[in-house]
Amino acid sequence: MTSYTICVFTENSIGILNKITTIFTRRRINIESLTVSETERKGISRFTIVIRSESREAVEKLVRQIRKIIEVLAVFGYLNEDIAYNEIALFKVSTPIGAKPLDIETINKVYKAWVVYWHLTYVIIQKTGTEEEIFEFFDYIKPHEILEFVRSGRVAVSKSPQTLVDYLPEAEWEYYQ
Amino acid sequence: MGFNENQTATIHGSEPVVSVAKPELINGSHAVIQSLIAEGVKTIFGYPGGAIMPVYDAIYDYQDQINHILVRHEQGAAHAAEGFARISGEVGVCLVTSGPGATNLVTGIADAIIDSTPMVCIIGQVASHLLGTDAFQETDVMGITIPITKWNYQITTPDEIPEIIAKAFYIAKSGRPGPVLIDITKDAQQKLMTKPFVHKKTETLLSYHPRIAPKDEQLAAAAKLINQAKRPFLFVGHGVQIAGAEQELLQFIEKTDVPAASTLLGLSSMPVDHPNYVGWLGMHGNYGTNVLTNQCDLIIAVGMRFDDRVTGDLNRYAKQAKVVHIEIDPAEIDKIVKADAPVVGDAKKALEMLLPLVNENNHEAWRAEFRKYDAIEDQKITQPELAPTTEKIKMAEVIRTLSDKTKGEAVIVADVGQHQMMAARYYQFKKPSSYITSGGLGTMGYALPASFGAKVGAPDREVVAIIGDGCFQMTIQELGTIAQSGLPVKIIILNNNFLGMVRQWQQLFHQKRYSFVELQNPDFITIAKGFGIDGHTCAKREDLHASLDKMLASDKPYLLEVLVEKEENVFPMVPTGACVADIRLE
Repeated sequence: MTSYTICVFTENSIGILNKITTIFTRRRINIESLTVSETERKGISRFTIVIRSESREAVEKLVRQIRKIIEVLAVFGYLNEDIAYNEIALFKVSTPIGAKPLDIETINKVYKAWVVYWHLTYVIIQKTGTEEEIFEFFDYIKPHEILEFVRSGRVAVSKSPQTLVDYLPEAEWEYYQ
Repeated sequence: MGFNENQTATIHGSEPVVSVAKPELINGSHAVIQSLIAEGVKTIFGYPGGAIMPVYDAIYDYQDQINHILVRHEQGAAHAAEGFARISGEVGVCLVTSGPGATNLVTGIADAIIDSTPMVCIIGQVASHLLGTDAFQETDVMGITIPITKWNYQITTPDEIPEIIAKAFYIAKSGRPGPVLIDITKDAQQKLMTKPFVHKKTETLLSYHPRIAPKDEQLAAAAKLINQAKRPFLFVGHGVQIAGAEQELLQFIEKTDVPAASTLLGLSSMPVDHPNYVGWLGMHGNYGTNVLTNQCDLIIAVGMRFDDRVTGDLNRYAKQAKVVHIEIDPAEIDKIVKADAPVVGDAKKALEMLLPLVNENNHEAWRAEFRKYDAIEDQKITQPELAPTTEKIKMAEVIRTLSDKTKGEAVIVADVGQHQMMAARYYQFKKPSSYITSGGLGTMGYALPASFGAKVGAPDREVVAIIGDGCFQMTIQELGTIAQSGLPVKIIILNNNFLGMVRQWQQLFHQKRYSFVELQNPDFITIAKGFGIDGHTCAKREDLHASLDKMLASDKPYLLEVLVEKEENVFPMVPTGACVADIRLE
């Protein structure tokens, strides 16, 4: 199974998420993660969808079906090497009195993770990175007892020098603010 | 509280609706109708109800400009709009209420998307403050119809109406056509627009750009394959008629001398008596077209999508052939069959641009191979069907007699099943846009409503619906619509007291275990007469000519029931999952 990152650029309108996900549902393709936000261009949303597939051909067909949605401006399918990508994870880790203290230096310097909230009995650590990096850190911090763990969807941009606007129809694109 | 219907009430008890109206401002309902008129709509197929009542109130004022046909069930509205669209090339329009009105349209919308039929469905919705509250007759029609519409949109303010309706018509008709649904909340229908009504047709959208003219390099690659091919085979799909490319198709075929076969929905794109026409493709298509699909060296597919009923087993489908695929929808390229030379564009434009690039050719020897198979099929199937020795009338002879009497020029609207396949096989189409049927979805009950829709779209043509006894009872109530509108549709029921196609499959693949396929039918003629429609039953072969003459002579709607052989099968047949070359003759 290969991971594919599908970036979908759409008009920012009600119901568009439904229109996109139904394309996956119908073909029984599971969405591993999904992130949506407005792009640097006003009114254009970017969906970053990660799926796994054994067939590049199936992913290409999927991309063409997504492109058929009227509100969709552009769709790109990427392999991991085509993109710079990251996720963000938050770990709520138990730190009761008397327990083995956290090695903050290792957390910071080795794992590039940061404590973002201190409590008497726990801390919240933020770690950004790839899925693999996040799970490496997961294994490291596990002995301290993970009370809660949450991981975002992937965000990704293409390594290609072309920008989004190169692919969009000609228009006066305003910056998002 | 809601609001009452007398246009002086308030929404949410506070916002005045009409009482403070500036005289030049119209409400949403009038905007709907005026937008439809601006889009050139002359006929609406619909059914009123609570959530669409303001629009119906507005129609009352425009009866001199808009003809509204009151169907008996919303499914009938959808199929009628499809029949209208398929024959006229214009957008069919449905108008129905929320909840059950909307869900009753769903079958027709699903039918329209798979058969690329342009349709705009305007649906009433509960008032916007009630959305999501499980209000009376509320249903999430937006959610329901996402997978079966080309586009859908919910309008909650009257100011959106002209722009969204313009967009709907543009999307429904352009590129690969399809159904568009607009859900309008009741308050948006009732409230006044805040600015004067202006309807401007849409000709372009930011995110939607169907490619009409193919790229030169794609055409060049296609022309190269076509010029090199020794045994090219052209497939005519529905896209030819949608694009109005019949003339360009003939020019292309005559210059290159390729044999051409049609898909089910491509039927009638070229005359059946054309020397290059070799029949139709697929499950019940012709013997030669199916066998030789696996012997050609090039498939030139024009406006077709390699439906599984055409290809049979894909692992054994035309593996020896290169493929030129001319198609307006890029998502169809490589979807089923890998194209060696895809040509993305409109069929008319593509053929027009391809014509100067292809060489004049002669494929007489290759075309003659089809005739060898034709001779076998003729002897084993066609002649026994058309000149039967059995006592009971056969479906094929009814169709062929009708074909002769109408000179192959009638519009045939076929329902779904054995009669559909018989109509496709034995009617000898001479004119374009003459075979209207539910191809992709296979919707039983399609033909009766689609036939009066077709008659509205082509009032000067003879429209004959060919319907099985099972299908007829799925939308039998539309006889009422036909009677009320006075549309002189001719209806032939081929009655074998069976769900014939299912019975055929049970016979061939389920050891004759005829599970729930025999019908106890009503007296169809009495029912028709109850609706005020004349008709009679033909039970004997010697009465067939006179019966058809009587039906065709009528200038009113007419129902002819023909009692046909009970256990008859449609052959040739490519069983599901079999290879096209393994087509069965018995």
